[in-house]
Amino acid sequence: MDSTIVILAICDGISYAALVFLVSVGLSLIFGVLRIVNVAHGSLYAYGAYMAATLSLLVAPISPWLTFPALLVASVLVGAIVGGLMERFLLRPVYHLEEVLQLLITFAVFMIMDNLQRMIWGVQPIFAAEPVKLLPNISILGVNYTSYQVLLLPLVAVITLFGLRYFLRYTLAGSIIMAVTEDREAATAIGIDARRVFLITFIIGASLAALGGALASPTTSLVPGMGTDMIVLSFAVAATAGLGQIEGAAVTALMIGLARAFIIYIQPELEVLVPYLIMMLVLLIRPMGLFGVNRVRKI
Amino acid sequence: MSRVLISARGLKIRFGGVIAADGIDLDVLEGENLAIIGPNGAGKTTFLNMATGYLRPQAGTVSFLGQDITALPPRTITKLGIARAFQIPQLFLDQTVLENMMIAAAAHAGSMSAFRHLLDLPERKEVEDLLDLVGVRAFANRKAFELPEGQRKLVDIALALALKPTVLLMDEPTSGVASGEKLGLMDILTSALARQKVSSVFVEHDMDMVERYAHRVAVWSSGKIQVVGPPAEVLKNTEVREHVIGI
Repeated sequence: MDSTIVILAICDGISYAALVFLVSVGLSLIFGVLRIVNVAHGSLYAYGAYMAATLSLLVAPISPWLTFPALLVASVLVGAIVGGLMERFLLRPVYHLEEVLQLLITFAVFMIMDNLQRMIWGVQPIFAAEPVKLLPNISILGVNYTSYQVLLLPLVAVITLFGLRYFLRYTLAGSIIMAVTEDREAATAIGIDARRVFLITFIIGASLAALGGALASPTTSLVPGMGTDMIVLSFAVAATAGLGQIEGAAVTALMIGLARAFIIYIQPELEVLVPYLIMMLVLLIRPMGLFGVNRVRKI
Repeated sequence: MSRVLISARGLKIRFGGVIAADGIDLDVLEGENLAIIGPNGAGKTTFLNMATGYLRPQAGTVSFLGQDITALPPRTITKLGIARAFQIPQLFLDQTVLENMMIAAAAHAGSMSAFRHLLDLPERKEVEDLLDLVGVRAFANRKAFELPEGQRKLVDIALALALKPTVLLMDEPTSGVASGEKLGLMDILTSALARQKVSSVFVEHDMDMVERYAHRVAVWSSGKIQVVGPPAEVLKNTEVREHVIGI
């Protein structure tokens, strides 16, 4: 294999892994605390992307540099508003139901949001590549690559990884989330409002999905169905890592991201297959995932 | 006369064919340690569950300082001032003793800041004093799962005290503790309660503990309270000795 292709594949893999990590760690966090597999997580990714593009196109005429904060604002807006409403009105009423029903309900929410998205943003591809153009290309051993993808995206992912760990381990809110995760009944017994913790956790998880979408928006054209690809892939990452594993999701995202990038250069028709092949192999050998432990409650 | 803190009137609950409470009237008075004794399955724990909102009686009411709390959720009852320690200490095992305490103190204060360091909260001093009070300050930085059962019980009590309760309800505070350590644990426990001016109700099987530490004892049998009174009297009662203590 040509060294240029190797470098390209590594860059593709890393930048893609960063996005997949953001989405799957949100999915994992929500699962760890709420014990719900939220299929509609993919919609939050798509809404994050569309919202970011809309805001970017809005602020770009003022100053193109404003598109960067626009990405962040879009993620928080989608996470807090769309995510908050979703948890409060669609998930909260179904926490006591069986898991299969919860899964079906989040799937229904996903379908509804997908259609709603077509109504709001239409079906024509949307481009908002301003942030990618603003940052210079860098040359890695003679191969040119956008620093947005190969530096900024991984940087955001790493900050998220450490930030999330610090938040959960050392802050008051994070410790309370961990306490509810470990033993909801005991947490309620000491007066913790588990419903509030669920809402806050869901908003954080939803914002991470939206952040993934927002950061992806300048690198790709936004089309209907983009949420579907992402939810399936991030589910594969979360399941391979072990649901609820934060560091595990990072390592697995990198592994799957790189494998997918290499296979695109070697045997492109296998692109879709590779992540699931990895997931299948891992789960056959370790059903709790690569980093999962046999105790159920863990984030 | 002491003030009535918790007042149960006409409590009834049955699980299938088992009648756990069949018209229970019971008062918990300020400043007392009230022991509840009785055969296994008599409904003693059910009473604690009804008084803390975990179970709703099918009839009857529970009030706390005159306020009806029968239908309130456990969290609200905790905030009003009735704390609960379970038979198995309910600690967050992956977190340290100090973190457990800080979470409880912060939960009680109702704060949930995303930016403040857990161990830098203003409640820290108070929490450390409580750990001193029950003698487990030395374990403050150990994870809860590393502690032996007796120490874990003490931390659980400190955790309950961090919620600043008026009454603490305990389910067999000495179960699972080696018999040689029971007296020590109860000494620490009762003096901590007295020091913090917390009244208590405890379900107990060990008559020695009841005799030493309870001010009053209620005998619960077949869903009814057979006798209530000072341990010296109640434990001499022939019927109680035959049916409950089994002598």
